[in-house]
Amino acid sequence: MLSFEGVYRKRGGTFLADFLGDDPLDFWVGRFYVGLFGVISVGAAVLGTLIIILSIALIGDGDLVRVTIGAPLRQYGLGFAPFLQGGNWEWIVIFATVAFVAWALREVEICRKLNMGYHVPIMFSFAISAFVVLQIIRPLLLGCWCEGFDIGFTGHLTWVSNTGFRYMNFYLNPFHAYGILGFFLTAMVLAMHGSAILGTYNTNADPNVETANVDNFWRDYVGYSIGELGIHVLGFWLAIYTLIMSDLCILTSGPFVQDWVDFWHFHIPWFH
Amino acid sequence: MATVIARTTLPPIELPAPSPLDDGDLLGIRIGTPIRIPLLAKLGLSTQTGVIWLGTWGVLSTFFFVAGVGVLALAAFQQMNGNLLLAIKYFANIQIAPPEGLGLAPSLQEGGYWQINLTFWALSVLCWAGRCYERLTRYQWRPFLLFAWLAAILLTSTIWVFRPLAMGSWAEAPALGLNSDLDWAQNFSVLWGNLYYDPWHMLAIFFLFGSTMLWGMHGATILATASEGSHMEDAEIKDMHSGSHKSMLFWRWTMGFNANPKTIHDWLWWFSVGTVLSSALGIITTGTVVKDWYVWGVDHGWVSQYGEITRSAINQSSQKPLVGLNRPEEPGVTTPQGGF
Repeated sequence: MLSFEGVYRKRGGTFLADFLGDDPLDFWVGRFYVGLFGVISVGAAVLGTLIIILSIALIGDGDLVRVTIGAPLRQYGLGFAPFLQGGNWEWIVIFATVAFVAWALREVEICRKLNMGYHVPIMFSFAISAFVVLQIIRPLLLGCWCEGFDIGFTGHLTWVSNTGFRYMNFYLNPFHAYGILGFFLTAMVLAMHGSAILGTYNTNADPNVETANVDNFWRDYVGYSIGELGIHVLGFWLAIYTLIMSDLCILTSGPFVQDWVDFWHFHIPWFH
Repeated sequence: MATVIARTTLPPIELPAPSPLDDGDLLGIRIGTPIRIPLLAKLGLSTQTGVIWLGTWGVLSTFFFVAGVGVLALAAFQQMNGNLLLAIKYFANIQIAPPEGLGLAPSLQEGGYWQINLTFWALSVLCWAGRCYERLTRYQWRPFLLFAWLAAILLTSTIWVFRPLAMGSWAEAPALGLNSDLDWAQNFSVLWGNLYYDPWHMLAIFFLFGSTMLWGMHGATILATASEGSHMEDAEIKDMHSGSHKSMLFWRWTMGFNANPKTIHDWLWWFSVGTVLSSALGIITTGTVVKDWYVWGVDHGWVSQYGEITRSAINQSSQKPLVGLNRPEEPGVTTPQGGF
């Protein structure tokens, strides 16, 4: 327990407590809060992990780096496949999605307990959307679970590589480019924010002087200081922008666009 | 959050206090008039823009930057025979290519513009590092920002300078242009046997995605507790209040681990700098130490082997520069070499 933790550890305010009047799962185990959604999430994660372990055991070579749990074969379409021909993959995706969504709901409950905003579960939902678009929505649009990515350390890299070439040149996918822009921008702004705080905290100055030093530095350096709250607003929206672009990047490839090179061969009539 | 940003009056204009540290610079003046943009307050951003410090380093850096862009524009116009409409139409396709070999380019069009532009670029970013150092000294920051900027310079100069030097040809560097940049990235991966199997590239992607994830986590946590002042981080590091308590407890209860208002910024800084450092390692080893990352992965047990590998062809391809692919094929030449 942290020194101030006792003040904040209070029962109540959970989903089950609202509906049943009492929540039998409203307790902590060590550092972790449990709750209904914690049980669901960890349960699903354990089941998914067991399927991975079982698959590796059945495949049998014990190579954890190269082992790949492939998406179902094309012949099974949107149906269930035999266990080692993609059935394991389907169950892993189901359990993973349940675990992720329950984890987001668990974050909502913790937010309610602490009486804080729902920004973290909202952000996590955007992250989940990347997984759901890749493994569920895009395969549904293309009519085959085989379109999902293979699960494995270098196996998923091979899938990413092949998928890029399948649509000719993924670098010419504009959403891919905007997504990379978002990733690079978050890394850059992250370094700027980290440097500002690590550079100025706990000097001998008054905290207000330290903050003024941050604002005045950025105004001197680039002409604008976005402010203590503003930098977090920027980071929050940059991360969401990046995730939305990543979703669009993979969702358009296949269902809407077959060839990102050919995509640019349009004709603008008034340009001649 | 709404309680924080709903202000009835705008904060006063803030100007830096006079300091003897501002005096040593001939061009050490602040230019422009501070302007307040009330709309920014609605977004939670600071409303004051300006003033900006001029400074000798800043003037030099801006001069070299403008000169570099000017050379680039000149080269682009020359490629389009001075036709503005064509230059706009083919904006994405115009490329200023590097010369072959390590010497001076034979002419402006055959790599000279590229070399001049890269020289201006190097001078500009190094002068900006000088500006960074000088302003950090003025405000007595610890030099984290300078090292982050130098790390960024290290990555770009690895791509454009150090690796071409190691490979023996400027043609190994990307041409300057929008599509040429993307094409270089694509070709680079294909030519050196799929960069996805480069462990440094894997690490760089881990740090890059991790940076976005950390911004999502940190930005969301602070916005969720900003009504209790967790965004005032310098003050919170000195003396924590309920906003920071909740930020820490949220993650402790969620995943069993939490940073604090100071250490979260260690995570942020190292993930960001880790991205560029591991990228630089991934670039400098490609083609110099490792000729084919797929074959390297197969040999080291990282990657499953999909079909036959023709190693002589790999060794041969490693001797070719990236640009200038119009040379005749020499299928009979096999010079077995190490290097995996």
